[in-house]
Amino acid sequence: MTETARRVILVDPDAEGRRSLAERLRGQGYAVETAGDGASAAELALAHPPSTVIADLWMPGVSGLQLCRLLRSEPATAEVPFVLRAARDDPKSRFWAERAGAVALVSKGRMGELFRVLKRASAGAPDSTFFMELGTGTVDVRDRIATHLDAALFESVVAAEVRSLASACSIDGVFDSLSQLLSQLSNYHWLALSTVSGHFAVHVHPACADRAVSAARASLGVAEGTPSRSLEDDDATPLGVEKPVTVVRNVLFGRSTIARIAIAVEKASYEVEELVTLVARELGGAIRLATVLEDSQRLAATDSLTGLANRRTFAASVKVESERCDRRGAPLCVLLLDVDHFKQVNDRYGHASGDAVLARIGALLPEQCRGYDIVARWGGEEFVVALPEANLAQGREVAERIRAAVERTVIHATNGAEIALSVSVGVALRSKDEPQDALLDRADRAMYAAKTGGRNRVSTAAEPDGATDADNESCTEGLRVAS
Amino acid sequence: MVDDSSTIRLQARRTLVQAGYSVVEAVDGLDGLDKLASSCAVALILCDVNMPRMSGIEFVEALAKFGMPMPPVVMLTTEGHPKLIQQAKASGAKGWMMKPFKPDVLIAAAKRLIAA
Repeated sequence: MTETARRVILVDPDAEGRRSLAERLRGQGYAVETAGDGASAAELALAHPPSTVIADLWMPGVSGLQLCRLLRSEPATAEVPFVLRAARDDPKSRFWAERAGAVALVSKGRMGELFRVLKRASAGAPDSTFFMELGTGTVDVRDRIATHLDAALFESVVAAEVRSLASACSIDGVFDSLSQLLSQLSNYHWLALSTVSGHFAVHVHPACADRAVSAARASLGVAEGTPSRSLEDDDATPLGVEKPVTVVRNVLFGRSTIARIAIAVEKASYEVEELVTLVARELGGAIRLATVLEDSQRLAATDSLTGLANRRTFAASVKVESERCDRRGAPLCVLLLDVDHFKQVNDRYGHASGDAVLARIGALLPEQCRGYDIVARWGGEEFVVALPEANLAQGREVAERIRAAVERTVIHATNGAEIALSVSVGVALRSKDEPQDALLDRADRAMYAAKTGGRNRVSTAAEPDGATDADNESCTEGLRVAS
Repeated sequence: MVDDSSTIRLQARRTLVQAGYSVVEAVDGLDGLDKLASSCAVALILCDVNMPRMSGIEFVEALAKFGMPMPPVVMLTTEGHPKLIQQAKASGAKGWMMKPFKPDVLIAAAKRLIAA
């Protein structure tokens, strides 16, 4: 320890400056070895790691910054403190010195500061005797610098590519792009991603999808029931071995793990480990952004109590469907439903029971409709259903089915009491080019007629051309249908 | 001297014998472990990285796992990836020399490590 603890390598291209500083350092009790250029300093340092290296920031040939980066990157000298000297202590030099991993940047004239820095640095230097000799081959210090530059370039390119996945805006999109990137950089059997938000995706060769999905599930600790999204194409390599090696890494955002990635390859290697580590380190931002966007899109589009579409989503979907039906000359019906005596449910059994009623009806509605019908919560205790390609008779039929289904439904209040439910439904058939507001207004008036007609019934709206008087007539007809 | 290349083994043997050492040769990591068990008082191990059956890194890791005082190991290889060097260092190797080696450097390292 004492032999190496105060051994210093001093690099200075100026022979006179080098000699005088070496002398002053020896006077302070350091064993000093000198070098006139970065390359020979590097060989010296690697072959016998000192307790500190002092070098000029700017030197011809291998600069002080390059030398510092090289010694930082070489395992033999990774922990050796490095002090850079510059003519002036300006912010730019300081910035690059820090980035290169130097412990300090000292102005050339300031000897007191240099000695203080040196004392502190060499005291903290670990006692390692591991050395590296470059041999007599073609590999010299410049090749080593090039090797580290290549590694740094590879790392920064991959990091930038992974960070740019954030523009995919969805977890599926992030995973698609990630698989395209990684399948170019490694021959993996499968690549898998699981997120805490419940996504689980696997990219695999079509020939071995089933095995890969269950292996990925096991590696990532994904529960059996979690649905998987399987991307299958020839970019993944078919399994050639019985047991591939799996590399798993957590993806962090801040301090919390928000996802995990796993990759299965034929043979373990530091390249694959490094690649997956790098990807995991950089992927957090893209996953977080995609999760936030998906959450906010879902929250903005759905009603939180029932999980149905909200009014805005309904309006947008009905607009598209209306235009489509107009083009095809097909009908479109709208049903507006209101839960009967809902205020009493709230007043008598409390809001929790009221919410349970709404949630139950919200769950029941899609069951009575086709997959492409649009079901939404209109607000309060009102629901709305759009039935593309349904004429008035079919609309009434669906309305009646819903009415009957609600009537059959018994729900228990929080105090155990049975709550009897019913709905009043207004049905309106869209006329060609009728604005959505007008259509819903007619459905609303029909629903109101069903209410005034005694509730728990279906009422049909008047034609849009008909005057207000005609409404009543039509409603009477609607009541007959409902009875 | 653990290396699958007989040429390298021969070069190293000549260099070391001239300097007064005696040399035991092994052709890969597994053979190295066998020879180590049957040879007494090994003072230094020189070891290649890329070898069939058991690589040099695996060999050093296996030695470290024995938990016994192990002779100093120097990797002697054409490989130079920092990750490999780091693995060797972490497993307890004492140095990394790139091939082709300078005989005087090899002897200097051997003397230093055996004296330590």
